[in-house]
Amino acid sequence: MSTNVLICDDSNLARKQVLRSLPENLSKNAQLATNGEEALAILRTQDIDVLFLDLTMPVIDGLGVLQTMKDESIKLPVFVISADVQPEMQSRVLDLGAAAFLRKPVQLNTLTENLQLHGFL
Amino acid sequence: MSTFELNEDQQDCLQELINVAMGQASDQLARYLDTFVYLKVPSIEPVNSEQLFETLNQDLKAAAVVSQGFFGYEGIRGEALLMYQPQDSHRLADLLGYEAGEMTFDEQIIDLSSILTTTFLNVFASQIDNQMSYSAPRLLSANNAKVSEHLNQQSFNWDLALKVKISYQVTDYSFNCDMVLLIPEEAINNIKAVIDRILEDF
Repeated sequence: MSTNVLICDDSNLARKQVLRSLPENLSKNAQLATNGEEALAILRTQDIDVLFLDLTMPVIDGLGVLQTMKDESIKLPVFVISADVQPEMQSRVLDLGAAAFLRKPVQLNTLTENLQLHGFL
Repeated sequence: MSTFELNEDQQDCLQELINVAMGQASDQLARYLDTFVYLKVPSIEPVNSEQLFETLNQDLKAAAVVSQGFFGYEGIRGEALLMYQPQDSHRLADLLGYEAGEMTFDEQIIDLSSILTTTFLNVFASQIDNQMSYSAPRLLSANNAKVSEHLNQQSFNWDLALKVKISYQVTDYSFNCDMVLLIPEEAINNIKAVIDRILEDF
């Protein structure tokens, strides 16, 4: 069974950093979105198993995505990967239902630990 | 023709390096002031030394400007300006929570600026395997002529620079602080070489 991954970040480099840190069985089916609006369009129409989400983005930001997912009952594990590491921001995203907060630039071992914790590895 | 322009990938990479640095700096500021700092996407644009005052005109309405030079390896250097708006400056002492007489206002604002500048630049430098040293921060008060004179001295050696502007908004107190980094063309060309090495890995 394959796992459908969505990576949402406005930075091409940041998307690649996540993609390269994923094991092959997760990266081979990864889709990419460059802002929150694109991510929501994919989440509404496709069966996504896990979302990697940036916060500071144009159009719809990461908090907006989490709020909309909550409002529309779109349920899947969301790993927020952000440079905005303020404790209040971390608690905001966890309150909105994110599975974990990971700081940028994303580290391979942190990502692996969190994927293991949530049963993706 | 100038080789100054960054291509799309270089701009994306630089912006991501800046995002990470600004996230850490805002975290320091949030802890220091015990509040939440709202971050906007930073602006990155080239300026030439003749246009500098025009582009900074708005910013120079600031009540206080703290200027600090930075120097890394591989010819990476520049000047960081921290700008505080007039309506906010009297709030700063309250925000910082200093006892009266403990530190002067000037000392407080230099203290805060130095924390923001060095946190930002240390994180930025560590991502590109560099290390920064700093000149002593200087407070250039409300006097525009003084700021102009100081910037003229800084801009003396360059015609073109990259201007990076980051706004830190402390929403609870409607307190704003802008960080403007001026990185001369020669230093940007060195940063570009480092960015290209990062991009080669991807």
